[in-house]
Amino acid sequence: MTAPALLLCGCLVLYPVFFLLQESLNAGDPMQFPPLQYGLDNFRAIPDDARVIGNTALVALLATGMAIAFGFVLAWILTRTVIPGRRLLERLMELPYYMTPLVGALAWGVLAGPKTGFINQLWHALGGGGDLVNVYSPLGIAWVMALFEGTVAFVMIAAAMKSMDPSLEESSRVLGAGKLRTTLMVTLPLVAPGVLSAAVFVFAEMLGAFAAAFVLGIPGRFFVITTAIWEATLSYPPDYGRAAALGLSLFAVMLLTLSLARLIMRRGSFATISGKAFRPRAVSVGRLRWALLAICWAYVALAVILPLAALLLTSLQSFATVFLAQSRFTFDNYRAALQMGALGLAFTNSLILGLAVASIGALVTFVLVWIIYRSRAPGRGLLEYVVMFPQAVPRMVFGLGLLWAWVNIPLPIYGTLWLLGLAYLTVFLPLGLRTLAGVVLQVDRGLEECARVCGASWARQMRTVTLPLLRPGLVAAWVLVFIASVRELGVSIFLMGPNSKVIAPAIVNAWLSSSAGLSSAMALLQTGTVFAGLVLLLVLFRSLGRETA
Amino acid sequence: MSGEAPRIEVEGLGVRYAEVAAVEGVGFAVARGELVTLLGPSGCGKTTTLRAIAGLEQPSAGNIRLAGRTVYSAAERRNVPAERRGVSMVFQSYAIWPHMTVFENVAYGLRVRRLAKAEIERSVGRALDLVQMQALAGRPASRLSGGQQQRVAVARAIAFEPEVLLFDEPLSNLDARLRAAMRLELRELQRRLGITALYVTHDQEEALAISDRVIVMNAGRIEQEGTPEEIYARPCSRFVADFVGAANLIPGRVRDIGHFEAAGGLLLPLPSSRPPRGDETTLALRTAYITLLADATQAPDTARGVIHRRMFHGDFIQYVVDWPAGQLIVRRPPTELFAEGAAVTIAFAPEHCVLL
Repeated sequence: MTAPALLLCGCLVLYPVFFLLQESLNAGDPMQFPPLQYGLDNFRAIPDDARVIGNTALVALLATGMAIAFGFVLAWILTRTVIPGRRLLERLMELPYYMTPLVGALAWGVLAGPKTGFINQLWHALGGGGDLVNVYSPLGIAWVMALFEGTVAFVMIAAAMKSMDPSLEESSRVLGAGKLRTTLMVTLPLVAPGVLSAAVFVFAEMLGAFAAAFVLGIPGRFFVITTAIWEATLSYPPDYGRAAALGLSLFAVMLLTLSLARLIMRRGSFATISGKAFRPRAVSVGRLRWALLAICWAYVALAVILPLAALLLTSLQSFATVFLAQSRFTFDNYRAALQMGALGLAFTNSLILGLAVASIGALVTFVLVWIIYRSRAPGRGLLEYVVMFPQAVPRMVFGLGLLWAWVNIPLPIYGTLWLLGLAYLTVFLPLGLRTLAGVVLQVDRGLEECARVCGASWARQMRTVTLPLLRPGLVAAWVLVFIASVRELGVSIFLMGPNSKVIAPAIVNAWLSSSAGLSSAMALLQTGTVFAGLVLLLVLFRSLGRETA
Repeated sequence: MSGEAPRIEVEGLGVRYAEVAAVEGVGFAVARGELVTLLGPSGCGKTTTLRAIAGLEQPSAGNIRLAGRTVYSAAERRNVPAERRGVSMVFQSYAIWPHMTVFENVAYGLRVRRLAKAEIERSVGRALDLVQMQALAGRPASRLSGGQQQRVAVARAIAFEPEVLLFDEPLSNLDARLRAAMRLELRELQRRLGITALYVTHDQEEALAISDRVIVMNAGRIEQEGTPEEIYARPCSRFVADFVGAANLIPGRVRDIGHFEAAGGLLLPLPSSRPPRGDETTLALRTAYITLLADATQAPDTARGVIHRRMFHGDFIQYVVDWPAGQLIVRRPPTELFAEGAAVTIAFAPEHCVLL
């Protein structure tokens, strides 16, 4: 059972990486494949890109700093203090992530672009000179990345704060320390490893981020590594060798950073993570709670409400203005997005791909999870490693590898939806596997064994016990893979063909070549689809929860 | 055992995990209607042995026969899958399926065997009756307390009238009071239905109370096998003396055929029924087999001591007594009160002195 799975997954995952490696070592004609000459020229040329590397480091550091600051403050407020509407806020914190950095960058381009940005329009109307804000800048890019890709910082820090045994703080209080002293001497040192590892993890993510730097950096010719890779493959003649070498180096740095994060997590976690779920003691903060509440809602406003409102306003106007009195409302943009041949097709294609990849992905994930976590087959550890591998590779870089891998295979699927589907499956298997594994590991092995001892065959055990118990996990995996497919950009941008357009790259193209109104409409359509998926997940879980509770 | 093959027969069983031997050379038999317990500390291989019999663990050596039918044989490379062994099992976690009702849980084994609907209803009803859960048959299994889940697990295990019933620490997740009650109930049920049972536990008190025979395991091997009384009264190794019941392990050497010399030159009597080999270095003496007397009479087989500490446990009093060979732990009924610092005479019968 393991051998064919290993072979299949190995091909899907490692084959593209092999091509990437081969191309990065191409010292001859970059268009020649396989390379006629091998050498380290591409890697030696990396210092020439010092500016790009500097830009990447700058943006990633700024974004990480901001994301951790937001994440820490919000996590502390939402896990440790008593404020009204905490549960709703906790839910809302996840939304920016689902909105995607691409949509966030478009929205903030509309909100805070120079001259015509809504904020600057207001500033000028109030008599201000010049631009108040400009999101087309390194700081602006970092800001958008922190808002829309930094959610993971909140999740990780909140988890660290939640898993802390409240008796550790209580004993400090009992021994005579005040609230402040307890916070400084006990709480912060205990949370510090979690925060640090979240910071390193987020930094690695930011190094591989693409969308914000693309939308907000390209107009001003401000390049980071991921956008430089994109440019190198599009310029004429395309410099594939440089792109591959940059991509591999980025991958190596990311891998090192991620291992560092894991090391910090394991070394520094003291006794905070004991596997027990604690209900952390929420501190009553009196009047201060209104200020804290305002902070939370300010974040939601900046990361969800304002961006969506800006996109909505832009998409409904023929000319984007924040002054409603001057605006002419129209549905033309939506009509265009849904009808204009290629664009409407992109939306349909994304839906088809999402449904197909989610369904096949859930099935494949189930088989893989069963082999990896339930069977005793040799090589299951290796299989898990292989399947999870794409997670460690920046999406852009993996897209590049997939491009060569499938261009050079004698299968006529390049430029078709089949290829996109296959690529999505490869990069989203880790997501599905993690989601389902969380559920499988909670299901006591005894439940399945008992069915066998009761006389059920393997098939009957699967049908009557395993599958019903895993249903919530399968539903979650399905929806999450669907959402991920609909919003996918990094891989699609390389693999999309003229007859297989999908929505995210189409939004990018619309943004680069036509009006803000059209791209806003498309971005809202994508976001609407993603949110519909989320609502579906929530509803399904409610009903499943009611059934088993 | 009148010529009939034992219900369970295990010979030379070995189970390996990677390079580690979890079970090695284990062999025993369980006759029809007997309840035998595998007793030992965690990691001793008792659960692994049970699971190998159920067919949930792949052994590496030996034979397993159920009612004379070989279900595992390393030599013949035969390994019958769990569902075709006809055994039943109560899991430590109960393994009650949360997505089914109580009725569906209990009916599972019967439905698998394709019995008629009326027959299934009758059998489930009878099984639920036996564990007094008839009233809750329609309830979703996720809404049961720990004790109720335990009962459902037992009902499910006996519903299809298995050849052999395996218990994997079935009571370890219950609180002390419920555990004592369920212990009695399980024993009643097993006797009434004449079930052949193999029972795994790490609780020595439970093992002694519930079993016809006890098999003490340690580090993947069998240490001792016998009736609860034999295991308690005559442990054959330091491990068994220490693990089962409470015992004083007194170091020293055999002086002559009738005496053991402990520290301080104290001479302890040895039973004439079991002559020493001569090389024993420890004498085990159960804390409950020692008598304390207030008067200082010099009777044979006694020693002098002083009460060092008294701990009142309710059902008994535990004394720490200073005596020439160091300290001695003694358990007496709560009616026998001695003050701390009081001088006492320590008495015990030679047949309770066990050489190890």
